[in-house]
Amino acid sequence: MEGLRYIPKNELFECSASLSGASKFFVWDGAPQGLPLRAMPCLASGAGFDVSSRMGHLDFNPGYDGVPKEAIDAVLQEGVLTQIIFVRVLPSPQKSRLRLSCAAPGKFSAVLCFHTTGRQRFSSENFVEVSLAPGAELDLTVMQNENLISRHRSDFRLSVEEGSCLKMNIITLRGGNTSNRIHCLLAAKNAECVLNGLYLADGQQVIDTDITLLHNAPECKSRQLFKGVLAGNARSKFTGEVVVAPCAQKTEAYQANNNLLTSDTARASSDPHLVIYADDVKCSHGSTCGSIGDQELFYMRSRGISEHEARILQQQAFAGAVLEQVSNPDLRERLTSLVEHRLRAQK
Amino acid sequence: MENLLEIKNLHASIGDREILKGIDLTVKPGEVHAIMGRNGSGKSTLSAILAGNSSYTVTEGSITYMGKDLLSMPPEERSWAGVFLGFQYPVEIPGVTNVNFMRTAINEHRRQKNLPPLSAAEYLKLMREKMAYVEMDPSFSSRGVNVGFSGGEKKRNEIFQMAMLNPTLAILDETDSGLDVDALRIVANGVNRLKTADNAFIVITHYQRLLDYIVPDIVHVLYKGRIVKTAGKELAAEVEAHGYEEFEV
Repeated sequence: MEGLRYIPKNELFECSASLSGASKFFVWDGAPQGLPLRAMPCLASGAGFDVSSRMGHLDFNPGYDGVPKEAIDAVLQEGVLTQIIFVRVLPSPQKSRLRLSCAAPGKFSAVLCFHTTGRQRFSSENFVEVSLAPGAELDLTVMQNENLISRHRSDFRLSVEEGSCLKMNIITLRGGNTSNRIHCLLAAKNAECVLNGLYLADGQQVIDTDITLLHNAPECKSRQLFKGVLAGNARSKFTGEVVVAPCAQKTEAYQANNNLLTSDTARASSDPHLVIYADDVKCSHGSTCGSIGDQELFYMRSRGISEHEARILQQQAFAGAVLEQVSNPDLRERLTSLVEHRLRAQK
Repeated sequence: MENLLEIKNLHASIGDREILKGIDLTVKPGEVHAIMGRNGSGKSTLSAILAGNSSYTVTEGSITYMGKDLLSMPPEERSWAGVFLGFQYPVEIPGVTNVNFMRTAINEHRRQKNLPPLSAAEYLKLMREKMAYVEMDPSFSSRGVNVGFSGGEKKRNEIFQMAMLNPTLAILDETDSGLDVDALRIVANGVNRLKTADNAFIVITHYQRLLDYIVPDIVHVLYKGRIVKTAGKELAAEVEAHGYEEFEV
């Protein structure tokens, strides 16, 4: 492919959730030497080859509505785990646009990771469009692991067709000011969407999650489970709207947001809501905000588990409900370990 | 022989209500003590204070355990020193498996003694051995702590944990409440297997029934926050036959 520059292996960024056997692609705004690379329009053609030395360029020509005109296209291949690793290097604000598509029936999986290098105040806006053809099933995991002062905005537009299923796990391990917007459209009968999120924040970090989920057809199912562990002076805001159109009979839509506050100064606000226009539906929503139970803590301490360790166990248990939704066992194990380290380091 | 536990003139309250009004109790190694009393007599308050539950305030008196001031030790330190409380209402901890829970506890105990942690294999072997003491199905180990357990299963889990931690002083708070005869027998067997000349048990109960299986050396009757009578095991039969009225002064 013309316009690509190959970077020698020892200059590649090491992603902490890098999976062996995955087809990896790096997308970054500048090689370590600061040289930008040309855009690579299409990421995956042909199955199962390792292209870990290929780079993509973050486009910064603003298109309509602030969305970049040029997109990086990833047509996913069945049976190949595609891992796309976004790395911020240059200090200037950057935008990216990624289109993930499952063009035929079958089972697909992908992992997106977002990282920063160094301690600068990076500012990124990422637009991710995911489309599923009828009968396609996509398992998508997003991991955000940026520095504590970065500004990160990700806008996910998900479109699910007849008989297809999108499962998305979004894990915000670390970041400065993170804002995730997820817009999901269940466009035809028997479409299904499962959204699981886990966010960990301490210090002065802020994490906002804004979800709009549209049931525009009958017999569709959706489920949302978002959990946050907040320490220090962290702030989180969860807004989740589920809209069920008049034609969307036999809808099942469930939504939950649970926040665990482990300091007196952490704050969580939660606003899940349902707007229902059909009359034959099963819908529920709930949100909780609390701290670790005294009785549970005492029970653990009475067995010789120190207070500090008991709190970590409880927090891991809390986060575990989301992590166990990650289907890939290697990824699940890796994420569980990363979450444990993060919880131990929280202030 | 040095006293394992010495409680002297213990007064304790919850909020501004005094519940224990001067308890004196001495326990020596190798002894099984039973504390019997009606609801509201202060039984659970006493066990909560021995375990270090900060909801209760000690207003007067002292508790010495193996020569140390127990009241100044936080709950985990008491556990490391060999104190175990079998709870009356064990709490459920979803998401924390029984395996993970006990392994963390055991390894923290070992760390306090400067011992290396048990390997996964060593731990599993120990766990299976002790689960057999209380006829507990191995599949329980992967469940959340006490999650979905029946009353009897929770009590057996308490005795299993006791077997794993091998305490020097075990306090069993109404271990028999809510148990049928079979579960009672299993729990009692577990306790009896753990009895040695160097450890001691305080069995707190409302009914005499458990004491047919875990035979006490010394029985105390607790009434309105005071020990009103202390005698040998025949006292339990007396309470069973005549109730608590004769002790209510």
